[in-house]
Amino acid sequence: MSILSVTGLTVAHGPIVAVRDVTLEVAPGQCIALLGPNGAGKTASVEAIAGLLPKLSGKVVFDGQDISQLPASSVVKRGLALVPQWRELFPNFSVEETLLAATNAARGRSAIELDVIYDYLPRLKERRTQIAGSLSGGEQQMLAIGRALVTNPKLILLDEPSAGLAVGIVRSMIDTIVRIRETGVAIVLVEQNLEVATALAQTCVVLTAGRMAWTGSIEDAMKTDAIREAYFA
Amino acid sequence: MSDRLKVVLRIALPSLAILLLTLIGSLLSSYWQYVFTISIGATIIGVALVMLVGYARCITIASGAMMAIGAYASALAVLKMGWSFPLALLVGLAFGALAGYVLAVPAVRFRSHNLAMVTLVFQEVVIIFLREAKTLTGGAEGLNVAAPVIFGMVVKSDIANLLMTGVASAAIILPLTVLLYGPFGKNLRALAANEVGARAFGISPRNYMIAAFVISSAAIAFAGAISAPRFRIVDPDSYGVLSSIFMLAYPIIGGMNSIWGGLMGGGVLRILPEVLRPLADYLELIFCVLVVLTVMYFPGGLVELVSRAVAKLRTGTNKDSPPDEVVLDSADTRAAMVRAMPPAMPRTDEAAGSPALSIEGLSKSYGALQAVKRVSIEVGAGRLHGLMGPNGAGKTTLFNMVTGFTGADAGSVSSFGRDLAIVPVEQRVGLGIARTFQHVAVFPSLSCFDNTIIGLGRNPVRATMRRSLEAAYGGASVGEERDAVMAALDAVGLKRLALQPAGSLSLGNQRRLEIARAIVSRPRLILLDEPVSGVGADEAGHLRELLLAINRELGVTMFIIEHNIGFLLSLCDRLTVMSYGEIIAEGEPNEVVSAQHVRSAYFGDKDAA
Amino acid sequence: MSEFLMVIIGGLASGAVYALVAIGVVVIHKATKTVNFAHGGFVLLGAFAAYLIVVQLGWTYWAAYVIVPLLIGALAMAIEMAILRPLRKADLFTVITATIFIGIGLSETYRLSYNTEILSMPKPIAGPPFVFGEVILTPAQLWVGAGALAAGLIGLLLFSHARIGRSMRAMASNVRGATLCGYSVNQVYALAWFMGGALAGLAGVFAGPSKGISPDLAVAMITAGFVGAVIGGFDSLRGALLGGLLLGLAETFAAAYVSSAMKSAISFLLLFVVLLWRPDGLFSERKIRDV
Repeated sequence: MSILSVTGLTVAHGPIVAVRDVTLEVAPGQCIALLGPNGAGKTASVEAIAGLLPKLSGKVVFDGQDISQLPASSVVKRGLALVPQWRELFPNFSVEETLLAATNAARGRSAIELDVIYDYLPRLKERRTQIAGSLSGGEQQMLAIGRALVTNPKLILLDEPSAGLAVGIVRSMIDTIVRIRETGVAIVLVEQNLEVATALAQTCVVLTAGRMAWTGSIEDAMKTDAIREAYFA
Repeated sequence: MSDRLKVVLRIALPSLAILLLTLIGSLLSSYWQYVFTISIGATIIGVALVMLVGYARCITIASGAMMAIGAYASALAVLKMGWSFPLALLVGLAFGALAGYVLAVPAVRFRSHNLAMVTLVFQEVVIIFLREAKTLTGGAEGLNVAAPVIFGMVVKSDIANLLMTGVASAAIILPLTVLLYGPFGKNLRALAANEVGARAFGISPRNYMIAAFVISSAAIAFAGAISAPRFRIVDPDSYGVLSSIFMLAYPIIGGMNSIWGGLMGGGVLRILPEVLRPLADYLELIFCVLVVLTVMYFPGGLVELVSRAVAKLRTGTNKDSPPDEVVLDSADTRAAMVRAMPPAMPRTDEAAGSPALSIEGLSKSYGALQAVKRVSIEVGAGRLHGLMGPNGAGKTTLFNMVTGFTGADAGSVSSFGRDLAIVPVEQRVGLGIARTFQHVAVFPSLSCFDNTIIGLGRNPVRATMRRSLEAAYGGASVGEERDAVMAALDAVGLKRLALQPAGSLSLGNQRRLEIARAIVSRPRLILLDEPVSGVGADEAGHLRELLLAINRELGVTMFIIEHNIGFLLSLCDRLTVMSYGEIIAEGEPNEVVSAQHVRSAYFGDKDAA
Repeated sequence: MSEFLMVIIGGLASGAVYALVAIGVVVIHKATKTVNFAHGGFVLLGAFAAYLIVVQLGWTYWAAYVIVPLLIGALAMAIEMAILRPLRKADLFTVITATIFIGIGLSETYRLSYNTEILSMPKPIAGPPFVFGEVILTPAQLWVGAGALAAGLIGLLLFSHARIGRSMRAMASNVRGATLCGYSVNQVYALAWFMGGALAGLAGVFAGPSKGISPDLAVAMITAGFVGAVIGGFDSLRGALLGGLLLGLAETFAAAYVSSAMKSAISFLLLFVVLLWRPDGLFSERKIRDV
């Protein structure tokens, strides 16, 4: 019984049809990677699933409920969290206040105690009173992930978490995400960085120009030309 | 009916309609002559505000003050200087223009709500001045104005007033119509639709907005001058904030993008308090409700309602819209371009052998983040040079610096020997530099033809006013421009869609339109920002063919950013790769793309086979 | 010297009311990115509601202080939901035009009920004036000044520290990020308009007795609110508070030392000068942390 089932997703971004007829299934606790070059429609896909972008057509069923028509503020309350590509933090909020703000989404379900979050992300604890805008890139990424975690999600959509980060930070971030995955949270990971993708996911979906070009295990994808063609065709 | 006659008639029609109304009114009773008089006087304001509020999208709360300025200036010219009424009218017009300029210069620095507030400031200060400067203006009691005397005849009777107002209004609306129907009006609409696209082809927001303020203020002042004597008194309270706001309703309810909307809005709304006497008290509230309903549900105003009704009466729409597909034949394309495109404008600063684009040591930081670090690229004349890199590489920042939309922290950009740092965006098309945009920057409500003609770059305000006049009587340049535009549209395959509004085109066709607009001026260098973003593989192939042909036949240099690496490989003869703000590779496209470190930049350290 | 002190205190007292209006304008703008040109209309209706409560119904001012903000807040929220929500996708021009005419519509509604008579209200506090040496201050003046200032500070604190404020501040900072925290745009916008309307209504209760109730009040208040907000940098509540106070001082000084005509003109001239010289407000340079 999959926790997320997306069928026939078609999304427009202004005049452009960014995503055409994408389908994917995620089992509870599974991590799948969404790969493809820039402009392939990866971000548009996950943002549409999360309710941030309107869909032209398609159905999204999460945890047994049809969330296709719901806005992002309702989707996150059902347990589907998004860590967006540009993080979308609040520059003047402190780390602690950012996390507190997200507890709003967990109302009804039990919010994860902030201490638990700090346990996963110890760097944040050290900086709990610091203003988000003054954090380093890696710390901001941690905060964005922490904000999603606070909402007590069953599935997290992660959009290019390694973008713009130095290699060392990326490694520690991979460890953190592995720990999160081990608690049973499912993950859909959008990535261009194959190191991150292979470390975290077993299966992948490759998008090109808005359409699905390939699905299967990441190992197979690496062996065939699928990925290289998608990027450089 | 010949085309030229059609154009002349179209432009003259509003004024002719006013004259017709005057004629009809003259046959009616005294009371109706009075009503027609004030209605016709208000049409001037309606059309003037269509220019400022509708076309230029500037919210103004200063119309009352402008009317007051015209009324007082002309009244004083007669009272204190003893000038004749016709001369006094011109004085009112002149003061209105001056006031419009004084208001516009500070106002056009702002947009939207700040702009509205600056006009409110102006409105209130003018009224306070009129109220306080007792010796000059008679203070709160105002001035007593005698009946106008024109060529020795006293204009006292209702019919005399009607004739005077009718003729004067028709006369003053005519130049407004010439401007609004011509390139001036089109450029205003382009500016309001997409400021970035308009600037790139020479339409200066500041100059156009000032012009719109000056012209509309002059017309509104004239309306104030001609209507004042009717009431025998000019006093400050008649021209307060409330009157300004209700005049704002004229273009909104009438129809903001149409001269007829201005005529209807002004003509009808002004006389409603007269004609609907029993409702007079509630009218202002009704106006407010009408405006809110109009902006919510009928943004096209009365004019749109009327044209929709007319279209329903006609059985089915007569337009068989041409299919939105394009047939592109390479050989035809090349032939069409070579044959029909007019010769390039002579460039006086052609520094022989200079690179088409020379970027040296360009840097830009945003706080702690160094987006671009000392990047240098040289693009030789006639080359097709591509720029690629993963997300966050700094390509867009670099491109914005090259196109002049962002300032650089260090380094320089020059083209054919000309340093571009000192050349504002609006002047670049004149230097032979054109561009396209990642988020298509066409002007949706203008036709493809009108979109392309803006690409010629003949858009400074005065030149455009002259062109508007020439368009009205069919001067020589009109035909020449038309030929150039049609040739460009033909070259990209959009000839059949020339009269279609750009907003109705598919994305692929809009991208072609941008290319037509870019080549119509025969530039030497075109900067392309993600030219195939969002288009399908077939269309990308067509666009590639088009760009190759343009490069070969017209010798245009191209500098292209793209994410679609396959596209770049098939088009460019040289490729630069950026990552984290620096250049990591440059050279022959296939070599660059297969380099190990380039792969790593995209994929991380694990290679994809 | 004593006259100088009176001018200052008088200026601060009327400035406090302007500050309250300006804060309301900024709350709405921060949270919803809309400049509410109808704000003056809300102030007028607040003053009118206070008149009805105090004069017609004969209740105490305290009833007005409690009921009017709730009433006007609800009205503002209703307007947001009925008119501005459908316009959410429209361009700025359309929204500004709509709020301008909503504001005039509100004052016209008032005018139709009470024509153009200027209504007057009794002072909120009776009693002899306080005399400090040669400084004479009426209790009403002090009451209005202190009350408006206190209300403004409460509004500020609610916005910057309370949970209610957090949703608006998050939305003001990053709409997408805020929705990812579960904040619904519709709810937060409605809340912001409620708060802005309540502040405007309360300002009306304070302004009514001292300035008289007439449609001119609406224009005067939107201008004062706007000028105060601009002086403060337009996106800072603290700046709006200071801006309103500064405007009150400027006006009173102008009236005392120049002329009454100058008093009318000063707010406009101040706006002009600030927009041209320091468009980010007089108190920017990060001195005022974004609140």
